[in-house]
Amino acid sequence: MALESSESTEPNESTDPTEPSDPIETTQQRTDTPLLQTENLVKRFGQFTATDRVDLTIERGEFRSVIGPNGAGKTTLFNLITGALPVTAGAIYFDGADITALSPSARVRRGIGRSFQISNVFGGLTVRENVRLAIQSVARDEYTAVESLFKPTDRYDELNDRTEAILDRIGLAHVAAEQANALAYGDKRRLEIGVVLATDPELVLFDEPTAGMSVEETRETIDLLEAVLVDQTLLLIEHDIELVMELSDRITVLNGGQILAEGTPAEIAANQDVQNAYLGGMTE
Amino acid sequence: MASELLQLLVDGLTIGVVYVLLAAGLSVIFGVMNVINFAHGELFALGAYFALALIAPFGGSAFFVALFVAPLLVGIIGVGIERFTVRPLYGRNPLYHILLTFGLVLVINDLIYLIWEPGSVTLPLPAVLSGSITVLDVTASVYNLFIIVFGALMAVAVWAMFEFTKYGLIVRAGAQDRQMVRNLGIDIDRYYSLVFGMGAALAAFAGIILGGYQTVNPTMGMSVIIPAFVIVVLGGLGSFRGAVVGGLFVGLVQTALRTYAPIFEGTGIFVLMIGVLLVRPHGLFGTDAGEEHAGNLLSGPRGGFLDPQTRTRLGLAMVGLLALVPLGAGTLYSTYAVTLVIEIIIWGLFALSLDFVMGYTGLVSLGHALFYGLGAYAVALGLSHVSQSAFVVLALAIVISAVIAWGIGFLSIRVSGVYFAMITLGFAELFYNLLGQLEFTGGSDGLFGLSTYYGLAGVGVELDEIAVFLGPVAITGQSLFYYIALAALVASFLLTRRMLNSPFGAVLKSIRENEQRATFIGYETTVYKRRAFVVSGALAGLAGGLFTLNAGYATPSLVDWLNSGEVIVMVILGGMGTLYGPVIGSGIFFGLEELLTGFTDRWRLVLGTIFVLFVILLPGGLVSLPSRLAPALLGAPGRGPNPEPEPESNPDPEPATDVDDAHTRGDD
Repeated sequence: MALESSESTEPNESTDPTEPSDPIETTQQRTDTPLLQTENLVKRFGQFTATDRVDLTIERGEFRSVIGPNGAGKTTLFNLITGALPVTAGAIYFDGADITALSPSARVRRGIGRSFQISNVFGGLTVRENVRLAIQSVARDEYTAVESLFKPTDRYDELNDRTEAILDRIGLAHVAAEQANALAYGDKRRLEIGVVLATDPELVLFDEPTAGMSVEETRETIDLLEAVLVDQTLLLIEHDIELVMELSDRITVLNGGQILAEGTPAEIAANQDVQNAYLGGMTE
Repeated sequence: MASELLQLLVDGLTIGVVYVLLAAGLSVIFGVMNVINFAHGELFALGAYFALALIAPFGGSAFFVALFVAPLLVGIIGVGIERFTVRPLYGRNPLYHILLTFGLVLVINDLIYLIWEPGSVTLPLPAVLSGSITVLDVTASVYNLFIIVFGALMAVAVWAMFEFTKYGLIVRAGAQDRQMVRNLGIDIDRYYSLVFGMGAALAAFAGIILGGYQTVNPTMGMSVIIPAFVIVVLGGLGSFRGAVVGGLFVGLVQTALRTYAPIFEGTGIFVLMIGVLLVRPHGLFGTDAGEEHAGNLLSGPRGGFLDPQTRTRLGLAMVGLLALVPLGAGTLYSTYAVTLVIEIIIWGLFALSLDFVMGYTGLVSLGHALFYGLGAYAVALGLSHVSQSAFVVLALAIVISAVIAWGIGFLSIRVSGVYFAMITLGFAELFYNLLGQLEFTGGSDGLFGLSTYYGLAGVGVELDEIAVFLGPVAITGQSLFYYIALAALVASFLLTRRMLNSPFGAVLKSIRENEQRATFIGYETTVYKRRAFVVSGALAGLAGGLFTLNAGYATPSLVDWLNSGEVIVMVILGGMGTLYGPVIGSGIFFGLEELLTGFTDRWRLVLGTIFVLFVILLPGGLVSLPSRLAPALLGAPGRGPNPEPEPESNPDPEPATDVDDAHTRGDD
């Protein structure tokens, strides 16, 4: 019975896993430094400079979009931030710490989540396993080596509770036991977002989440993003200008690997350089 | 001194040119079609044998005719091989080509034995090419110079063809983007047949000129294929330039080592390859372009159409059945049955160990015999120097194999795909050659005459000294060992299955499904792969250790690359990514071998053919057969929603329907 008193203090942490209370708290604690900052970031492939002295600063809670013509270096910038590519020069700071030399997986554990295009889930595993893998990744320090080698996954009650909470949140609880490959198009998208959410990120990078979607599907996806990732800072690459103008707090325009302009949607829409380089084609 | 060096240069270049011709075809076939052609060595041998057959009726003067007709014939065979066996596999993981061509090695090699006599034959040379020239104290045979000049001309011709002809342009374009070339209205498949045929013809050229230099014998293909791969990997897979530089370089290095440091003749090139790959993971001239994962590994069925409980019962029944085998030995059937099933069990364990790393992380270890051999030698050396206790030496085998696996994993898991396969092959060949040379491992004879007891600290028994009586049947000696081996297999199976159901195993499966995604949800995938490799190496070491305990000897032949190939065959034959499939594969392999050797000496031919058909028609392995047949037989999809068999300890399978509270149910 003595356990009861100690248990009564715990529920603060694990009362309702559907409420990701932790990220908000940390966010509010340290608002002094920007969440993500790149300093003089350069990436060269041989003679070609794909990212040219990019200084990017993203504040907590911001919804930032990166736009630019094809070949402007958007995806390269993402690859540098997530660690998929090593930088040629410059530095990347996340939450005030230098992460330039960290591996991609270490950055994920720091709180940088990356969403991929639709097919990028574990197709041969069940929906539940997909989400649980992400949860397990973040929670791995909570278990001993022996446990993680030999204890069957379905006996990790706490992890499984968190998994189910995410499944509920993305609305896939009813298909949790199905293979991810068997999911319908929209549900796969949900799963993809759920997997990112399950890694408990502070910053989520989306590379064209609505590529190839109909207007209706795009709308559904964006609604889902906004509903599920309200607490996260979002960095988005997107081709659909209307969508970007509507959603973003701020927009960064890349051209030839350099930042051409940065500002609120209204400022960007009014910027003459941007219109010349990028939006020009749309005003015909 | 100078003349000695010149002599070395001539000899080295002679071999080097042969390697260039051999490696060029191999490399181009990979570069264009992503096919690793293990049968290249056999096509090389076939060229020499065809030339032999063409020259025989006419004498040495027919050599020049044969030099062009034989490669043409081999080229046609190459076209046929591409058309009928390789083509159905395009789009699948390159692993399947390794397996297919490994099957072809068995087939072609046995055909050579079937048609021609075993043993070495001299290829008659024309009078023009005999004799020697002496310039500046250097004596070079005319034939040597002929090889160097002719080979160089051939290499230039091939290079020019790729560089300057329309054919070459289309092939190079196809290597970049096959679909794009198709969209231009070009029938790219036809060109692939030609590339394969040309590669085969080049190999045949090499075979003929080397046959004239040395002798023609059925094992000549086996003896060049590994160096040829080393060259291709060294130069960079798919790089013609790399094949030329690598071929000449290896030819010179080998010749120099033979002269100045014979101890390193066997090992030198493998050290070189491993060294190069560690510094430049894609070889000297390679790019990582060829390394896209072209297709998925087709693992065995997940779930299948039997529910977990039936599977568990079936498994228990199988083990029970196996446990009965020694009881009838000597009465119902000969005691040889026990020997055979022990072999199946040990190789089943070996195959299971490979499956753990290959089937679950997609790492294809082409040198897994290394760990088998390590286990065997650890036991052999342990028995002679450390302890006579079987348990102590088996533990030693497991630990040593695990440690070496960690080291090799640390060095090689950073290179991926085909390069990983090659670097593991390199380590295995290195070990193989070391074993043949080191004194304390008994050289090429190995270690033998070993005895052991079962117990600890000197207290224990020898299996021959005791007998367990079950009614009228006395179980002793080998039959007792049989149970030890069976117990090791069952324990290993349960252990690995348990691991696969743990968070660790979940990560392994996620790596198999999508390694990039696994990285981006926060897993350091190389670390997980390395751990899996360590587990795998340890179990392979256990298998090898059991072998030596039972057989009482260890020889370098345990590490032969054919063993590494055969164990992959077993894994695929049974069904990759299932753990039990490979054990079944081992049973089928040895069962077939046993059956076939009763009918014919050429059992490898039949086995190879069966295997080729398998890879083409049933890539999921034997265990995929029921779920493949189920739709046809039952009119319903056979694939269940459960991806893995549930552990016995948890008889409640995850509900297939949407029972939401599944997770809230307390398990224990």
